Amino acid sequence: MKIAAAFILLLIILIPVMGLGVTGDGTIKGKLQSFVTYSLALLSLLLSLLTVIAAAYSLADDIKQRRIYMVLTKPIRRSELLAGKLLGVILLDLLLLVPLSAIIYGVINYIPTHNDATAQQMQALENEFFTARANIKPPEPDVKAEVLRLYERLKQERQLPEGSKYREIIKYLTQLVKYQKRAVGAGSEMRWQFDNIRITDPNQSLFIRYKYDVSVNPPDLNINGGWMVGDLRQLPAIPQGRGSIYIFERKDMIRTFHELEVPANAVASDGHLEVAFLNLPMNNTVVIFPPDEGLELLYKAESYTLNFIKAVIMLFLRLVFLACIGIFAASFLSFPVALLLCLAVLSVATVGGFILESFDYLSSEVGTIYTFTVGVVIQMIPRFDRYNPSVYLVPARLISWSMLAKLVAMFVCLQSFVIFLFSFLIFKFKEIARITI
Amino acid sequence: MNQNNEYAVETFSLSKVFADLWGRNRVYAVNELNLRVRYNEVFGLLGPNGSGKTTTIKVLLGLLHPTKGRALVLGGDATDPKISARIGFLPEESYLYRYLTARETLDFYGRLFSLPNQVRKARIEALLDMVGLKAVANRQVGTFSKGMARRIGLAQALINDPDLLILDEPTTGLDPIGTRQIKDLILELVKRGKTVLLCSHLLADVEDICDRISILYGGNIQAEGQVKQLLQQSNRTQITSGALSDRTIENIRKLIEAEHADFEVTSPMEKLETFFIRTVTEAQASAVPTSGAVSTTMIGDFLAAEAAQKSILDKLVTAEVSDKPKAAIETQKPAETKTPAVEPDKELLSKLTSAAEPSEPVKTSEPAETKTPDTQKVRDEVLEQLKGSEDKAEEQDRANTDEGEKPDA
Repeated sequence: MKIAAAFILLLIILIPVMGLGVTGDGTIKGKLQSFVTYSLALLSLLLSLLTVIAAAYSLADDIKQRRIYMVLTKPIRRSELLAGKLLGVILLDLLLLVPLSAIIYGVINYIPTHNDATAQQMQALENEFFTARANIKPPEPDVKAEVLRLYERLKQERQLPEGSKYREIIKYLTQLVKYQKRAVGAGSEMRWQFDNIRITDPNQSLFIRYKYDVSVNPPDLNINGGWMVGDLRQLPAIPQGRGSIYIFERKDMIRTFHELEVPANAVASDGHLEVAFLNLPMNNTVVIFPPDEGLELLYKAESYTLNFIKAVIMLFLRLVFLACIGIFAASFLSFPVALLLCLAVLSVATVGGFILESFDYLSSEVGTIYTFTVGVVIQMIPRFDRYNPSVYLVPARLISWSMLAKLVAMFVCLQSFVIFLFSFLIFKFKEIARITI
Repeated sequence: MNQNNEYAVETFSLSKVFADLWGRNRVYAVNELNLRVRYNEVFGLLGPNGSGKTTTIKVLLGLLHPTKGRALVLGGDATDPKISARIGFLPEESYLYRYLTARETLDFYGRLFSLPNQVRKARIEALLDMVGLKAVANRQVGTFSKGMARRIGLAQALINDPDLLILDEPTTGLDPIGTRQIKDLILELVKRGKTVLLCSHLLADVEDICDRISILYGGNIQAEGQVKQLLQQSNRTQITSGALSDRTIENIRKLIEAEHADFEVTSPMEKLETFFIRTVTEAQASAVPTSGAVSTTMIGDFLAAEAAQKSILDKLVTAEVSDKPKAAIETQKPAETKTPAVEPDKELLSKLTSAAEPSEPVKTSEPAETKTPDTQKVRDEVLEQLKGSEDKAEEQDRANTDEGEKPDA
């Protein structure tokens, strides 16, 4: 109880202080972005810890202190007891999450009102932060055939690396070919085509979010790019009424994200849009748009408030899962050990990618056994890093309902449910009384 | 009541073996136990420490799984909610949620039985009265002494008006008056058709209330039967009468000597328990005008409340007991309103003085008669006296400090 109080107090104090303290990159947008990142990370971390502690402790301590004797001998089923513990923790989470995220939301809305930002900065804030933008990524080119051809050729030329497995080589070659597809040599051009863009408000803007990678670092770490956005099908002639074409010339830092604002009328009436990038010859290096995150198109699709609520729901789903893990661990472990297990799961789920991938790499060695043992366990660990609310809120990216539904299905219906089922089975056949003789 | 099965509790070669992870060090906590508790009796499970009493109870309640054999409770499995709704259980210690108050604790357990709101509320108040915790009902149970926690434990065991009451050493940690109250309560419950399975190693308690007993040793029954039969010495006769003149005694002696039986004349000894309760009640009675509050959980408090409790529980539960509350009070009365025959009293005092520190019993009777205003002193002395005779001195000490706080609260 004291732990919970300390956590809550810490949050209530830290969040507004953080709101005053953060500076970000100096702009008002940067300030808000870093505040969102830090405050949500803090909220999520402390509530996650509180959840696993509360869930594991409430069950483990009842068993240890034997209070459970007097509860289980009452006309309730063991499943009811577990469900009650779980609901209690989830309710606690809800009670804390709603007001605390409301405080964060309040601070976010408060910061811009007390700031001497220019009108232009405020406009950028409206367009790039206080909004929820849907994103479209250009389709990944299918490189399978090309990779196989390359493999065969290398094999004939006996240039395959010695001692490597087929799978590894293919994986490497795929990566290579994908990068090649994204590479633009100095002086050449690359085009992306987007279809089915639905613009709701003709006055809104589109945003092209991109990141440069380079083969050789330019001296000032900047790339000069020529951009052309619009319905490029009409080139070279420009017929009437088919949408405007916008041309930009920019100088951007490499390896960071940048956004290009384009008025919505660049989109043709059939929802078609093309983006062309010219690697200006003066760069004298190959520019690469990294796969997955190299370039995407963003446009406003929903209000910021709704998106924020969805982000909080995302956080809540995470806590539901953690509550299940806590109960599960306590159904067969004593409190300290149960907490250790929970923290291990929490850190794997948070750090995620790296650890899971290293397991995956091992899997090629052991094959089937792995798939049905460790593989299953890993399937049960959600990817908190991938479904991190700040990943969406910072670039004002839309959290779609379909994705939220997917998360509910995955975190709650599958992972949490299976884990809860396990804890129930363990608890049902557990000998509750300690052995004394 | 479910009478289609003959026994309220029945076990069939029940065994519970504890072993380590590799199956070594096998210990038979319960070994081929065939226990039969009939409906509507007080059954005592006796045995030294580690004889398997508590293990048996835990297996009965489904907290432990039997290694072999089966246990039927009220004709079924105790983990079945239909069955457990009719069982009241008091574990060997009261394991309570420390941050709940006494009233909240009872409310919590009441809710587990899905009792309707009004019934639950009425029962909670009645039970708080009955166990003498009304004055501290809003205090967190984490601050309770062992005896008080025990009382709450007992109250929660009764909240569902159980048909079968399983009590694991119900009197540990209780002062003699609490012990007496529990014993009276058990007798009263059995009168109302309940079954009580009691497990204890305090033989005096068991002897007072149990209809039948089993003595366990090594997880198995060593002796079983009705208490009266087991303890009766068929080759002896006891005659009790009022005080007799020397001449009458001489006459009787002659009669008996004619039968060639040995003969002994003594004034009967009062039980220490009876004496203790009377002393404390007297001290209380004299202390009330000075402190101006009902200050203890002791018998006066409880007696006043008991009538109320009975009537409420009656209304709630059993309709056919109209004359029983009276009977209950009558059973209490001999314990404390016994005509204070001077001679046995003196006898007892001298007995006490010879057994323990000589001055103390005299002191205790003094404040009661001279109405010394210092109530705390009286209590202390009562306790001192207790220490000489009872080994539960620590608990009483704590209970005493609790009582000392109450007038302030």
